[in-house]
Amino acid sequence: MQKEEHPNRHKRQVVQGADMVLNEDQRWSLVDLLAKQTISAGTYKQTVWDVIGELTVKPLTGIPVAFAVLYAFWSVFGSFAGALCTDGFFVKFFDNHFLPWMQAIWPDPNSILYFLFVGDPLADNCFEAFGVLTSGLFIAIGVVLPAVLIFYLMMAILEDSGYLPRLAVLVDTLLHKMGLHGYAIVPTILGLGCNVPAITATRILETKKQRFIMMTLLAIFVPCGAQLGIMLEVIPESVGYVMLFLLIGYVVFGYLLSKIVPGTNPEILIDVPPYHMPQRANITKKLWMRTSGFIINAVPFVLLGVLFINLLYIGGVIQWLSDVFAPVFVHWFGVPKETAGPLIAAFLRKDLAVAQLSNIEMTQYQMISAVVLISIYFPCVATFVVMLKEGWKELLAAVGVLFAVAFIYGGIIHAIGILLGVA
Amino acid sequence: MNTEHNTAQIYIAALGLVTMILGLVDILVWIGFTGGIEFGIMGIAGDDFFRWAWGGLVVFLGGALMLSGCRNVGNIQEFSKVLLGAALVWTIAACDIFAMICENIPAGEEAPEFLNSFAGFVGGFAPPYAPAVILLPFTLVIAYFFYAWGFADES
Repeated sequence: MQKEEHPNRHKRQVVQGADMVLNEDQRWSLVDLLAKQTISAGTYKQTVWDVIGELTVKPLTGIPVAFAVLYAFWSVFGSFAGALCTDGFFVKFFDNHFLPWMQAIWPDPNSILYFLFVGDPLADNCFEAFGVLTSGLFIAIGVVLPAVLIFYLMMAILEDSGYLPRLAVLVDTLLHKMGLHGYAIVPTILGLGCNVPAITATRILETKKQRFIMMTLLAIFVPCGAQLGIMLEVIPESVGYVMLFLLIGYVVFGYLLSKIVPGTNPEILIDVPPYHMPQRANITKKLWMRTSGFIINAVPFVLLGVLFINLLYIGGVIQWLSDVFAPVFVHWFGVPKETAGPLIAAFLRKDLAVAQLSNIEMTQYQMISAVVLISIYFPCVATFVVMLKEGWKELLAAVGVLFAVAFIYGGIIHAIGILLGVA
Repeated sequence: MNTEHNTAQIYIAALGLVTMILGLVDILVWIGFTGGIEFGIMGIAGDDFFRWAWGGLVVFLGGALMLSGCRNVGNIQEFSKVLLGAALVWTIAACDIFAMICENIPAGEEAPEFLNSFAGFVGGFAPPYAPAVILLPFTLVIAYFFYAWGFADES
């Protein structure tokens, strides 16, 4: 085939074969003829699902739906992970069977090895024992695993049903005020499962400014599923207050960062797919990939974390840090000086740190302040490593912001408690 | 508009109003306007922000959506609002029922065994029920309209 082109578009001709020449009109006639023979046009009729799809992105009708979806998300999370798995089975198994068995078979309760691996010989539950094989296994398998499992299941259903892009459209205006856009809801919700994939997911944001703000907010104000699971177990009546403090911090500091950090925040076009039934095969695949990833990455950190903290206790490091930072903890943050230990543990695993807090005597408000502090003061080591991969300059800047925010916000929370007369 | 639509309109309006009131009562009890309420098989404990304030707000908004769409239920746009309102009530009711199932599968904390007995499991579903659970069968009528009026076929 030979093709000839002329400057005047209307006179363009196509030479096909040796003797067949079609001008533009003939070409379009041929296209029409082919289209008639191959395409059959139907009539579009709007269905209820189409209308519901539209209603869920309009603020007036979409926000109630978002409230309901998030309610269902956390209600199912609490019922399955808290009431059924942890309280229903694992607490009983670990406290009534596993802990007494470990205490009975491990020789010499006064030895260092006993302290490291079984923990307190007088403890009657796995939260208090704090040994690698007692509290470590209980936290990893009994508390965190069911929480992560149900979280990822709900997340996969939201993704595959087509609701997540609609949520992105709904929160776009609010997130623009924080220097982000609607799709920032994806790393935020992922971060509620685990901050590690959430940091990676910040790559869906276009500019450096957006990615920096999102990473910083994730590291500070978004507690992971493991931490949420343990919070449900240790402070079930105060989880709402902790989340409220974190949500306020997320919005306020996001807004401040958007004003301080230089860069642009462009608009985006979001492709909103129709609603559809999630496929079981896809859900199973996602659930397996994410949960197995969690088991491989997090469980060793929990066990090593308990071991490391116990070694620091034996070496007197925790006591020394508690004494050094006592004025800051007691007078500025309004929490007991013993909180130093859990704060160190928080660098390894935040769930572990919250579990440790349950062994420190304090008021309900102090507990809320301490849990918020653990959430905002430093990302866990796994998140730290992923942030480092995204760029060391961004990491250093994020850590700088993080310390400033932890110090300021921790003091503000204490001040609020003083004003309310509860601190 | 045919007679069936007229009757449905009145039914949905009444249901939306009752739903809104019950959602509001959930919130007011949580605020402390009154103590926990028990009325027949319905109970509102109001002891938990998440369940009664947030859940109550969703029930209230569900009722509002039903009311907003009840004027012309034969129209696909309006009916969709009604269906969405009902779906919000179903969500809260389903969560309540799921919570009851999860709480009743294990035996009590003091019991030596792990699994609850069958009688214990069934006994856990005894009243009182939250308003969303009571509203559930009444809102299922909207699902009937969805099928009976042919909206499901079009979808």
